Amino acid sequence: MLRPGVRRLFRLRLGRREDVERDTDEEIRAHLEMRAAELERRGLSPEEAMAEAQRRFGAPEEARDELVRAARRRERRVRWRDRLDGLRQDLRHAWRSVKGEPGLAAVVVVIIALGVGANAAMFGVLDRLLLGGPAHVVDPGRVVRFSIHATVPGQGEVSDNTFGYVAYEALRDHARDLDGVAAYSEWHDVVGAGEAARPVRVGHATAGFFPLLGVRPAVGRFFGPAEDRPGDARHVAVLGHEVWRSRFAGDSAVVGRTVRIGGEPYTVVGVAPAGFTGVELKRVDAWLPMSLVHPSPDWRTSWQAQWLKIVARLAPGVTRERGAAEATRSLRAAYPGTEKFIERADLHADPLSYDDSGHEAREVAVSRWLFAVSLIVLLVACANVANLLLARALRRRREVSLRVALGISRWRLVRLLLGESLALALLGGVAALAVIPVVGHVVRSALLPTVAWGDGLVDGRVLAVAAALTLATGLAAGLLPALHAGRHDVIGSLRAGMRGEGAGTSRLRSGLAVAQAALSVLLLVGAGLFIRSLHHARGIDLGFEPERVLMVRPDWSVPGPSSAPTPEERDRRRARRSAFFAAALVRARRLPEVERAAVTVGLPFQMWFTLRLRVPGVDSIPRLPGGGPYIQAVSPGYFATMGLSLLEGRSFGPADHEGSEPVAVVSRTMARTLWPGGEALGRCLLIGRAERPPCARVVGIVEDAHRNALHEQPSMQYYIPLGQERGFGGSALVIRPRGDPEALIGRLRRRLAGLDPEVLYLRIESLESVIDPHYRPWRLGATLMGAFGILALLIAAMGLYSLVAYTVASRRHEVGIRMALGAGRIDILRWVLRRGVLLVASGIAVGALLAAAAAPRLGDLLFEESPLDPAVYAGVAALLLAVAVAACLVPAGGAVKLDPARVLRAD
Amino acid sequence: MTEPIPVLKGTLDVLVLKALSGAPMHGLEITDWLTRRSGGELSFDESAVYQALYRMEGRDLVEAEWGVSDNNRKARYYSITAAGGRQLAEESRQLVRFGELVKIILSTSPA
Repeated sequence: MLRPGVRRLFRLRLGRREDVERDTDEEIRAHLEMRAAELERRGLSPEEAMAEAQRRFGAPEEARDELVRAARRRERRVRWRDRLDGLRQDLRHAWRSVKGEPGLAAVVVVIIALGVGANAAMFGVLDRLLLGGPAHVVDPGRVVRFSIHATVPGQGEVSDNTFGYVAYEALRDHARDLDGVAAYSEWHDVVGAGEAARPVRVGHATAGFFPLLGVRPAVGRFFGPAEDRPGDARHVAVLGHEVWRSRFAGDSAVVGRTVRIGGEPYTVVGVAPAGFTGVELKRVDAWLPMSLVHPSPDWRTSWQAQWLKIVARLAPGVTRERGAAEATRSLRAAYPGTEKFIERADLHADPLSYDDSGHEAREVAVSRWLFAVSLIVLLVACANVANLLLARALRRRREVSLRVALGISRWRLVRLLLGESLALALLGGVAALAVIPVVGHVVRSALLPTVAWGDGLVDGRVLAVAAALTLATGLAAGLLPALHAGRHDVIGSLRAGMRGEGAGTSRLRSGLAVAQAALSVLLLVGAGLFIRSLHHARGIDLGFEPERVLMVRPDWSVPGPSSAPTPEERDRRRARRSAFFAAALVRARRLPEVERAAVTVGLPFQMWFTLRLRVPGVDSIPRLPGGGPYIQAVSPGYFATMGLSLLEGRSFGPADHEGSEPVAVVSRTMARTLWPGGEALGRCLLIGRAERPPCARVVGIVEDAHRNALHEQPSMQYYIPLGQERGFGGSALVIRPRGDPEALIGRLRRRLAGLDPEVLYLRIESLESVIDPHYRPWRLGATLMGAFGILALLIAAMGLYSLVAYTVASRRHEVGIRMALGAGRIDILRWVLRRGVLLVASGIAVGALLAAAAAPRLGDLLFEESPLDPAVYAGVAALLLAVAVAACLVPAGGAVKLDPARVLRAD
Repeated sequence: MTEPIPVLKGTLDVLVLKALSGAPMHGLEITDWLTRRSGGELSFDESAVYQALYRMEGRDLVEAEWGVSDNNRKARYYSITAAGGRQLAEESRQLVRFGELVKIILSTSPA
């Protein structure tokens, strides 16, 4: 017969449901019988006594039922109160034990904060790139963007994702299963004029683009079909939210005002909501009607002019495959021509996370890997926290044994220990809130600096993930120690006291240490592979020196964007632009910081052209996998400015200009391909579509230049003097500074300002900054995997340290005996190190196997790097062993300093 | 002997608490204690005492445990909790004051 207080204190079980009824009946019967007995003593017959007792008690059946109901109510309330009491006790207990070992608690909290924080931040990135889609797009899973794919003989599969207006019309008007079709393109332009001119990114979209995505304007409206009618489009603009905030102070009265974009006036009709970037992730400063942009006069009917990207919303239940097949059918039905590329091409309906090539963007693939990597870090963190909690559970074995001896239930014990780890995880989760923005910011700026992330770093979905991860971590980390304590050998551990640990526990803890080491190896091998890839990529000779070249491209104010220029107007512009570049070249060369400067039409990684080419003596020009031959028109000094070496013959000089004898310089690959005998100089190139183009004599051979990628097949390239180009245009100034290119930008801009009022803005960038994004996947993989790997390594080292330190502490006695028996310091040191190093060595073995299995899946994310590169594996193994030795040396040093006499006496 | 008066609604709880404030009792003892103290002038169904007990146990004003009665019967013994003690003090103060007011009001003649 326990008092309730005692029952509650020790969490003994309350009665079950049916017990309640039985107890109530029992109580009523006791009452009636005692009452009847008393009445009998006063002289009533047994029957009369019982009848009287029942009368006094109240209507028998009703009273009984009511009492049972009341008793049940009572039982429910008591049970709830007990539960709340239990929870309060658990929390108090958890808090006490956290306070009891603040150092341990701090370590655990930090580990969990880093693990959970890194994961939640990575989730945030992945969510935007892959899961949640671009901001403000409703149900992005149903929005697709089309790309066109065809196999071209000699070139393999060719794909593109720009289309003509005719293709957009065909899909819009004839494709079934699509809830809407819209087209857009994005380009750079200039707002303002003179000093205030700023480059902006402008989106040109059909009126249906916005309703298709489901986006609502922040102010005003988007433009309607009447304002986007081909041939009758209005000059209306929808401003991007950021531009509205920064240039118009977020004033709603902006609607109706006029802004100048590219020198043209536009009436503002609305403002896009914050963070809206269309279906791509780059910032868009203004949206203009698509019908205002004319790449060529016949844009409405031409199948050649391709500049639009086409998006569609699939009807509910329609798969991407069906949508694509339907779109392909519509396109083929509408195509009147005979061009094999379009006739036989297939359209693909790509998710928005795909890049322009119609494949999953490399950044998405990398962030998917990074999310996996951060999950591994969390696993390491879990293993580590579990290990720390196990160690503590061992230290508190006596307390636990006492509780078990006093009759605490196993479940209750598990609950207490789980409560502790959950409390720690909760603190870690709160601390993770500080980690998420930091990691998120770093990842975002490293991963996709050009992406307009829009909203904050921490949104509801990220918070939910962080909370879920926190809970999972607390459970996972607490479960092992708790279950372990749950099958606790009471007698054994009460008897054993504090010394030693059971074989099972030891195995468990060692296993956790091995797992941590293995996972660290996995991450570090990944990081190593990326670092080597980056190294390989950096080592590529592009043929020119991007880090030493600035390029200057003017944005021209083009009067009347709608109509194609008359021949006179075209000549006027051509003359004016040549004059600008000639003057700019003179001014730039006068700057003392400028070593060389040149003007070019076409530039690596920027713009390239192909023209019809015939070569007397060569029957058909071979098609190389790299494409081409590509043509570029350059002023004298171009090769030296770019750092392209001249291999044979001469480069262009002042005597080569418009109207002089046509000459050409060919690339090494072109010379070798067309004239394998090495007799390129003096040969003839017939350039262009004309019936009899003049013969351009080859006067020199230069090194190959990479055209558009770090990793590309060689292509044929040739150069003609600036001014001799026909059928292509659009110049840029290239400058080779003496010092730091970036430092020269401001001075150059001032020097070149005011040369021509038709220049709205000068875009000046280093060629390196243009090429730099190409290195990004590897740099990203190297830095982030490296950072996560080091983090995992640190956590694992801490785990190893705590394990070895604990082992040493619990085996002081053994150490003492060994020393007393004549073991030297070196022996003791070796004894301690052996254990740690053995653990890590097994971790390395397991981790290397895991890595060898996983790394090949990295596939083309690696650059000229074998996923089994022995140098990487060896390096990581050496690093881990070094860290293991360091982590063991500290406790080993402690063991060596033990005084055997004192240790043995103390125990 | 005058006709017994029924217990006013809501006052049985505080009476039971009062009974328990001395020592733990089982239900029958509480009933008898109430009858004895009122000189038999209170009328109530004895089951109402149990209703009150269960209600108050649910609210943590009393707690119960099985014990053995004087005449060797198994019985559920009730004792007052700390919260029950506070409740008793509060309720009795209010009830006594209420009784006095009723007496004052009813014994003055309407003017």
